[in-house]
Amino acid sequence: MTSALEVESHDTATNRTAAARTDEGVDQIFSFRELARLDEALTMSSRETGLRFTLYVGDLGTPTRSRAEELHAHSGGNTAEAVLIAVSPGQRVAEVVTGSAAARRLPDRACALAVLSMTTAFAGGDLVGGIINGLRQLADQAGRPTTRH
Amino acid sequence: MTVVETILVFAVVPLAVVLVLALMTLGPGARNRRPRYKPGQPWNHDPIWYEPHPEATGHGGGHGEDDAQALGSSVYPERYGDEAAATHAVSGGTHAGSSATRAISGGSTGGATVASRPRAAGPLGGARGTW
Repeated sequence: MTSALEVESHDTATNRTAAARTDEGVDQIFSFRELARLDEALTMSSRETGLRFTLYVGDLGTPTRSRAEELHAHSGGNTAEAVLIAVSPGQRVAEVVTGSAAARRLPDRACALAVLSMTTAFAGGDLVGGIINGLRQLADQAGRPTTRH
Repeated sequence: MTVVETILVFAVVPLAVVLVLALMTLGPGARNRRPRYKPGQPWNHDPIWYEPHPEATGHGGGHGEDDAQALGSSVYPERYGDEAAATHAVSGGTHAGSSATRAISGGSTGGATVASRPRAAGPLGGARGTW
C-alpha cells in the first residue's frame, strides 16, 4: 500500500529540485491513507461552504486561545472567512477559531458542538476520525454560500 | 488410534489453527507499525498546518487571461526579451494542485510559510475543548 510511494528518488531529480514529498518527514504523524482522508475532508468542506478550513496540529503554547487566534490571522487568504481547527494533542486542547464573516454562519454553539464530538474521539485515541467528524459537522452547519449558486 | 495420531489430532491441529489465526490478526499491524496517539502521552512532532486545495486546479492561467493568444497548441503567449526568461514561471506561478500540506518552520514564527503578513479578521468566534 505505502511501499510503492516510498521509493528512491527518480532520475528526474537534480540538485535544484526541491526535496521529495516523502523526504519532508511530515508523514510520520499520519499514514498516507489518513492524510488522504484529511485532505479530502478539508478540500470538500471548504468547497461546499465557501469558507476556508485549515487544520493545525501541534503545540499551541500557553495561553492556547491567543496562540490559536494568532495562527488564524496568519492562515492566508481572506481571514474573515477562514476557520482554523487547532489541535494540540500534547496539551489535550482543541480550538476552533472562526473569522468575523465565518462566525455569522458558524455560531459559537455549533463550534462547541463540533469541538465536543472531536474531543470525544480524541479521548479514544482517534485523531483523524475526530477531526474529520468535526469538519463534517462544521461544514453541515455552515451550509452553502448564499451568493453563489 | 495410536499415540502419535492422538497427539497430531488433539495438539498439533489446534495449535496450527491458533497460529494461523494469530498471524492473520497480528501480521498486518506488525508490518506498518505507526505510533498511535494515546491521550496523555507527549506530542513530539513538529507543528504542521494542513490547508485545502485551491479551488482552481490544473492550468495556472488558462485561456483568455494574461492576453494569451493561442500559438499552436500552447496555452501561453510567446514572450520576448526579459519576459522570455519568465515564461517558465507561468505554469508554476500559481501553486494550484500542489501539495495541501505545509510544514511550519518554527514556533515563534508560526504560520510564516502560509502567509507573509497577518490579517486580522475582526471579532473572532469559535470554541475550545479539552479531553
